[in-house]
Amino acid sequence: MKRITLAAIALAASAGLGLTGCAGAAGPAEKPAQEGKTTLSVSVWNYEGTPEFKALFDAYEAANPNIDIEPVDILAEDYPQKVTTMLAGGDTTDVLTMKNVIDYSRYANNGQLQEINGVVDKLDKDNLAGLDAFDLNGKYFAAPYRQDFWLLYYNKDLFKAAGVEEPKDLTWDEYVALAKKLTTTADGKTVYGTYHHIWRSVIQAISAAQNDGDQNSGDYGFFKDQYNTALDLQKSGATLDFGTAKSQKTSYRTMFETGQTAMMPMGTWYISGFAAAKKAGKTNVNWGLAPMPQKSDDGNVTTFGSPTAFAVNKNAAHSEEAKKFIEWAAGEEGAKAISKIGVVPALQNQAVTDEYFKLEGLPVDELSKKAFTPDKTALEMPVSDKSAAVDKILNQEHDLIMVGERSVEDGINEMGKRVKSEVLNK
Amino acid sequence: MTTETINPAPAVTQGRGNRKQARRNTLIGWTFILPNFLGFLAFTLVPVLAAFALSFMEWTSFSAPKWVGLANFQRMLESDTFWVALRNTVVYALGHVPLTMALALLLAMLLNRKLKGIGFFRVAIFFPYITSLVAVAVVWNMLFSPDSGPINQFLHSIGIAEAPGWTSSSDWALPAVIITSVWRDMGYYMVLYLAGLQAIPSELYEAAEVDGASAWQRFWNVTIPSLRPTTFFVVVMLTVSSFKVFDLIVVMTNGGPGRSTTVLSQLIYQEGIGEGKFGYSSAISLVLFLIVLTVTVLQFKIQQRRER
Amino acid sequence: MTNMAEDLKAEAPFRAGTRLEVPPSETPRRSKAPRRSTRERKARTLDLILYSVLAVLVIGLMVPFIWMVSSSLKENNQVLTVPIQWIPTEFVWSNYTDIWTRIPMMGYVQNSLYLSVIITCLQVLTGSLAAYGFSKVRFPGRDVLFLAYIGTIAVPWQAYMVPQYIMMQQLGLTNSFNALILLQAFGAFGVFLMRQYYMTIPDELCEAARIDGLSEYGIWARVILPLSKPALASLALLTFVNTWNDYMGPFIYLTSNRLWTVQLGLRSFVGQFDAEYAMIMTGSVISVVPILIIFLIGQRYFIQGIATSGMKG
Repeated sequence: MKRITLAAIALAASAGLGLTGCAGAAGPAEKPAQEGKTTLSVSVWNYEGTPEFKALFDAYEAANPNIDIEPVDILAEDYPQKVTTMLAGGDTTDVLTMKNVIDYSRYANNGQLQEINGVVDKLDKDNLAGLDAFDLNGKYFAAPYRQDFWLLYYNKDLFKAAGVEEPKDLTWDEYVALAKKLTTTADGKTVYGTYHHIWRSVIQAISAAQNDGDQNSGDYGFFKDQYNTALDLQKSGATLDFGTAKSQKTSYRTMFETGQTAMMPMGTWYISGFAAAKKAGKTNVNWGLAPMPQKSDDGNVTTFGSPTAFAVNKNAAHSEEAKKFIEWAAGEEGAKAISKIGVVPALQNQAVTDEYFKLEGLPVDELSKKAFTPDKTALEMPVSDKSAAVDKILNQEHDLIMVGERSVEDGINEMGKRVKSEVLNK
Repeated sequence: MTTETINPAPAVTQGRGNRKQARRNTLIGWTFILPNFLGFLAFTLVPVLAAFALSFMEWTSFSAPKWVGLANFQRMLESDTFWVALRNTVVYALGHVPLTMALALLLAMLLNRKLKGIGFFRVAIFFPYITSLVAVAVVWNMLFSPDSGPINQFLHSIGIAEAPGWTSSSDWALPAVIITSVWRDMGYYMVLYLAGLQAIPSELYEAAEVDGASAWQRFWNVTIPSLRPTTFFVVVMLTVSSFKVFDLIVVMTNGGPGRSTTVLSQLIYQEGIGEGKFGYSSAISLVLFLIVLTVTVLQFKIQQRRER
Repeated sequence: MTNMAEDLKAEAPFRAGTRLEVPPSETPRRSKAPRRSTRERKARTLDLILYSVLAVLVIGLMVPFIWMVSSSLKENNQVLTVPIQWIPTEFVWSNYTDIWTRIPMMGYVQNSLYLSVIITCLQVLTGSLAAYGFSKVRFPGRDVLFLAYIGTIAVPWQAYMVPQYIMMQQLGLTNSFNALILLQAFGAFGVFLMRQYYMTIPDELCEAARIDGLSEYGIWARVILPLSKPALASLALLTFVNTWNDYMGPFIYLTSNRLWTVQLGLRSFVGQFDAEYAMIMTGSVISVVPILIIFLIGQRYFIQGIATSGMKG
């Protein structure tokens, strides 16, 4: 009976400890809706760690005193899974944040989102990057407020030490040569010329963007040069080997912030992350930004990116308010609100860019500014109901090429074969 | 132990089987079961049956399900990835079940004695179980590292020139995962065996010793038969958990390289909640359920025959 | 209340869990005295070997845990380095103070504790009740029902989680502790484990109690329950650990941050593009502590409980 007594004590203790018991102990109880205020719920991921949401909501609440925004905080890792489950249960969250375009296509094609052409028509369509991605046969079900694209981060001190110039107008060949030159080993510690993170986009999305390739087509010849480049770098030891990076869960932040790599192609989301680390004294890397390397040196910059958007739930409790919020967030006010904290807004105009470069700790040299305004930003992955399945296959085959189990040629053929047989011909 | 699952247990009312008594028994039996059964029925059994029903339908979770008959199963049988995942799952189970069992038994024999500080060792056995999976994956992947990992350095030192690529190679990733999972699970099952061992009376060993049996013979003729009920329990639980393996694989290799460590429950997750093909994912889970059930019933029958 | 059980236990020819498979008559008893000294010497050498083997083994089992502790004392960008770094260049003890303010860790611990304790109590209570019905009372349909229980263990949760969620949503139970309690307190595992244990308790014991005029409920409460302390403890322990470490269940059912558990709190350090592994490891080390305490308390019972539930009746 001792055990049961113990359990009873524990129960009493925890009920006491739990204070509010059933209501949950982590944080204050939810405040009741205030008189005359509408509570607009918005699904977000990792609310604490993703400051753009708070920046947007605070600014919107300040501009619209009769609206109270309630974030529905969901863990980033499994965000789409939780949203899918909630929606299946008929959830009435008003605004749904679309983490990527693949999920968007699934929700939109299954009639889970409201059409918001009325909102999109009022936006500055020409300057809203990534808007095209949300066009499904002339209908829009979401509007982007944020657009991340890829550029090249580099470590100015390592460049200086090697006596090379800043990475201006690089072609891929020059990039490879530079990476090899920047690779050094001292005291058993290697500093790599560049670091390619394990994501397939590092190779596939950039070659699709620069070759006008379609990653849902089933023909992947356009990946070839990029794979050869990456494998050459890996073979010469100018970048961390893929197998190691994958199995050790290597953090790209660690690679760059501890000065283990001189260059690193990465998305713009890292700008605010790096600036924060630098401000907190957690890194002393002297950083610079440059455009992604290109096929030719004609000075035109093509990169790829991925928009993040807000959509209105079909079952929303406050549809009209939700639409108003989206119109604001995708407009200039919303763009300025997130620019202030170093997040790249979808709306690109001079006023917004100026606001952005006011951020403390940003590199202000000309090359960094140029990197920030690419000539063309292709979509990371096309919007289609096939994208999720294709993505999975491309990931698997990417692994095999990068660990050296398949030759580039065989790997590309296998991708095509599998995508055609498992996805396109279904 | 579990032999009675199907055989009727010794009845409360043996010999007095009149109808009134039977009805009374049914009533009493149900009152005992009811509190748990109501919860089980409502929150587990009904959803499970619903999932099985979904395997004959097409459902995106956003709209009403549509009856499609056997189309999901047909698609499954034609899918290359399904067969790869099925093969991987079976290979994983074939490696994981006997290895974990053997090592758990070995450990249990080691720890089945009065020894100062034995409690500490027994607790230590559980550390793999409560260590964060990320830590497990990072450290084991480091050990398996093809060039610099201690495992391959050891293999090189004993003259194996072509050491395996482990988690960076399609052929060796699954064995690497199996090794890690055996390492992680053996402590748990060791406790089951340890317990079983403690229940074997020492008289049996002494008698065997007097009869001149060697240590091996004692193990084979006393330990193994006495442990049969425990072994059966371990095999059933291990089989179920091997066929459902998910977390460790996701964290350690995420199914790669390629599809070399993709398992069925991963497929169920990706196709279902990942891509919204709930009918298809239910079909796969129905197959998984049937496989595990068949294996369990088979083991059950073998066990029953041995007991006779 | 326990007196009766103790009496019956004394009367019983053997205690559950120490029953012999071979009848006692076949095992000749002999005096051990003359051989004790050689044995002891042999045993001592054996112990020595055993200690060294165990020491190596324990290190082998602890390595990832050691890395986890080491990582919890690093700056975040020093955790996932290549090559792996075992000793932090600089010990960042502040991780252990920061985590309580970075996330409402105390609240998460309370929530986890609340859930784990309630679920464990309910699981043990309803599981042992149902197990009695499944093992000691005979009625038609019993075994089919029991097979249905076991069968569900083989179905991966990923397969039926959405239908289950929809049901819960319609009952208005999502985003509350009640949903999780209802889902996890009535699992098949407890019934299975307890039933196997009850099978080992001789029916003669129940018969004797019946003759003494006890009702079936009385037998369960006053004879079987006190006898099954070890099994109850082991079930409680396993349920506690499983509930404490569960991630997917709380993730799907607990939406409000106020309701989050430790495991959810730790995952909140994983962002869209990167993760704060130093904080995750710090939290993981902290979250092991309650399990260790429970384990150390229940350790003796735990070993015994499994012993008897693993034996045939």
